[in-house]
Amino acid sequence: MMQWMTLFQKEVVENWRNFKWVWVPLVFILIAIMDPLTMYYMPVLLESGAGVPDGAIFEMPTPSTTELLMMSLSQLNTIGIVVVALMAMGTIANERKSGVLELTLVKPISYSKYITAKWLSLVCLIAVSLFAALSVHWYYVNLLFDTISYTEILLVGLFFGSWFLFVAALIILYNTFAPSAGVVAALSIGTIIVLSVATSTFSKYLTWSPANIPELIQEMLYTSSIPFDLMMALGVTWILTVACLWVSVICMERKEVS
Amino acid sequence: MSLFASINWAVIAPLVVIQFILMAVALIDLLRNEQPNGPKWMWIPIVIFGQILGPVAYFIFGKGDE
Repeated sequence: MMQWMTLFQKEVVENWRNFKWVWVPLVFILIAIMDPLTMYYMPVLLESGAGVPDGAIFEMPTPSTTELLMMSLSQLNTIGIVVVALMAMGTIANERKSGVLELTLVKPISYSKYITAKWLSLVCLIAVSLFAALSVHWYYVNLLFDTISYTEILLVGLFFGSWFLFVAALIILYNTFAPSAGVVAALSIGTIIVLSVATSTFSKYLTWSPANIPELIQEMLYTSSIPFDLMMALGVTWILTVACLWVSVICMERKEVS
Repeated sequence: MSLFASINWAVIAPLVVIQFILMAVALIDLLRNEQPNGPKWMWIPIVIFGQILGPVAYFIFGKGDE
């Protein structure tokens, strides 16, 4: 346990020195408030644009808070995942390249401790960023549009965060065997895209796919009750996350032997 | 002028602050960085004029190995 804490602390301190604790939350906040702000200023933006003839009246329906939340979630789901993948692409791959990995593992440290410390530090960073992003989103929507309950936002953050648990585990997994950081990013983003496309194409059969979580969150927001499918999707996501981490440990062992 | 006045600056100010923090942190790191990925003089304008993407691009691609 002591060993694990040391490894975990090393990761947290390193992320602090990299300024990841500063810029990742800020970028997430920007992603989450982009859409509410543009929707709010849409009439002003259209008016100042040249293409509108005098006297033309635009009737813009004001988006509901649920619509705004779903817009921001889908932005986080695309740009957010790309940012996370690029941010974490070198977490093990670069350590292997620079030789830090050998320095760390020269001591009798089990691979499972190493992997879980890496994963959890990444998850902490993502969790803080998501929390900050959704909180600022909540603030802006309250200010500019309509009241929206904070517990709802927290619940959405919890479910949406579970999807990022899996994304983080996937990135760690690719880190253990990919030859370079760029390959890790490409493979992670590629896998997420394939999974998302497959999920939306075969939505009948893949209701419990992790990539379906945003869709199910929308259902939750519209029916204001937690759908059964969402709980199942969360279960599947957690199982897949553990599986990814487990395979990562095996990959690390294999790589070391060969 | 009406456009300028119609904008609620209390709403926009946090955005400007966030962007400024990003830029400042990236600049401080860039100036301290002894071996950035690519020439330093190239990264300085990218960080300053690159809006949000500039600093982020620097953090992801420009920091290089420590």
